[in-house]
Amino acid sequence: MKVRLVLLWVAVGIPLLWGVMKTLENALKLFQ
Amino acid sequence: MASSFLDRENTVAPPGFNRFLVPPAALAVHLSIGQAYAFSTFNLPLTKLIGHSHSAPADWDLKQVGWIFSIAIVFLGSSAAVFGRWVERVGPRRSMFTAALCFSGGFIVSAFGIHLRQLWLLYLGYGVLGGCGLGIGYISPVSTLIKWFPDRPGMATGMAIMGFGGGALIAAPLSVMLMAHFKTAVSNGVLETLVTMGVIYFMFMMIGVYAVRVPAPDWKPAGWSAPSHPKQLVTTANVSVDMAWRTPQFWLLWVVLCMNVTAGIGVLGQASPMIQEIFSGRVTPAAAAGFVGLLSLFNMGGRIIWATTSDYIGRRNTYMVFFLLGILLYSTVPTLGHLGSIPLFVAAFCIILSMYGGGFATIPAYLRDIFGTYQVGAIHGRLLTAWSVAGVLGPVLVNYIRQYQIDNGVPKAQAYSVTMYIMCGLLLIGFLCNYAMRAVDEKYHYRGSTQS
Repeated sequence: MKVRLVLLWVAVGIPLLWGVMKTLENALKLFQ
Repeated sequence: MASSFLDRENTVAPPGFNRFLVPPAALAVHLSIGQAYAFSTFNLPLTKLIGHSHSAPADWDLKQVGWIFSIAIVFLGSSAAVFGRWVERVGPRRSMFTAALCFSGGFIVSAFGIHLRQLWLLYLGYGVLGGCGLGIGYISPVSTLIKWFPDRPGMATGMAIMGFGGGALIAAPLSVMLMAHFKTAVSNGVLETLVTMGVIYFMFMMIGVYAVRVPAPDWKPAGWSAPSHPKQLVTTANVSVDMAWRTPQFWLLWVVLCMNVTAGIGVLGQASPMIQEIFSGRVTPAAAAGFVGLLSLFNMGGRIIWATTSDYIGRRNTYMVFFLLGILLYSTVPTLGHLGSIPLFVAAFCIILSMYGGGFATIPAYLRDIFGTYQVGAIHGRLLTAWSVAGVLGPVLVNYIRQYQIDNGVPKAQAYSVTMYIMCGLLLIGFLCNYAMRAVDEKYHYRGSTQS
């Protein structure tokens, strides 16, 4: 059960973190 | 075989099931359908299908292409309202599966439309079919999450609805990357990108279909029991969907959501030109795109933060904060523009957009407090028609009033001031409706069995 829990959160967390990172990269241009 | 896997009876969780497996299932669906917020990345490429680097005379124009998203949002609201009761009846797995078929199917039909150069197929594909996928997918996990987290309904639904805000953060760079990858001398890569995204999103949504479970009817979190003296405005009774929309509370909440969304959505759609015009010569288009990204980030973060906060301070108080703080910030924005302070201007809009997202994420728990858990998903579906109305009202208010001001000789940098004061008025209406909220009269309570 614990392995499934970790796998599921990783499956949705990685794309979300990637999207947040890409957005922050763009957002930084606002303050440059 | 396939139908039995999708049946509600086969999704009942066994004893000892970890309820934290359900939020990622809901997130898988919401992160996918949240792509809708990033559909604008396809707008320009769709106007250059024949000319490739420029729009040829036979290409579609931006106005025609813009209708695809509008139709999708209208069908989001209407399908959530129409299919809400069906979603409650068949359970989250079958409804998530249907949403995946519709949403992904919308991409494939749209790609076919590009291949045949038939714009109506894009309206039908992404607009109608995809819009139904958006509506059904949006409400699918809501009542399930509320049942799994009776102790933290705001946090649970906030987590899922955060995904809808986060979906755009993934879809925007993903679409750009895929179009660049598929671009050739004879194609700008939109067709291939739509097919690829349709397949990716179908597979991703299947994670949710596979993982979602409903709790057994008598299930409660370990060590938790329903409070003997519930907080004010938190009911232990239930109201059916057909009765709910005859109550004044439903329409008060409808206006509350509509006003909160109208105030945010107009700004979100116009954010890039607005910051460039108010700080003319100081904000480049690239920096303005960064501003839009930052707003999306706060829109997403506000969903989980405000919805979780509402578990502690109450739903009505949370909306009081949205409306009062919103009025304060909107009325300050013109001054911040005159002062020329970009950081303060950006900070004000980041907070405004966090409350826009927070409004979406807190409403399911508010509905649960007022109408109970029975058919809360279906009631939520009907309430989402407020989103469809706000989706038209917000951009119209911002765009038309700005244009009217400019036509009457107001400098572009000051053309948004009146709009901001009108937004304050809308938020005041929302505040009054929220203030008027009372518990539902007993005559509307549902007396039958709620085990479904």
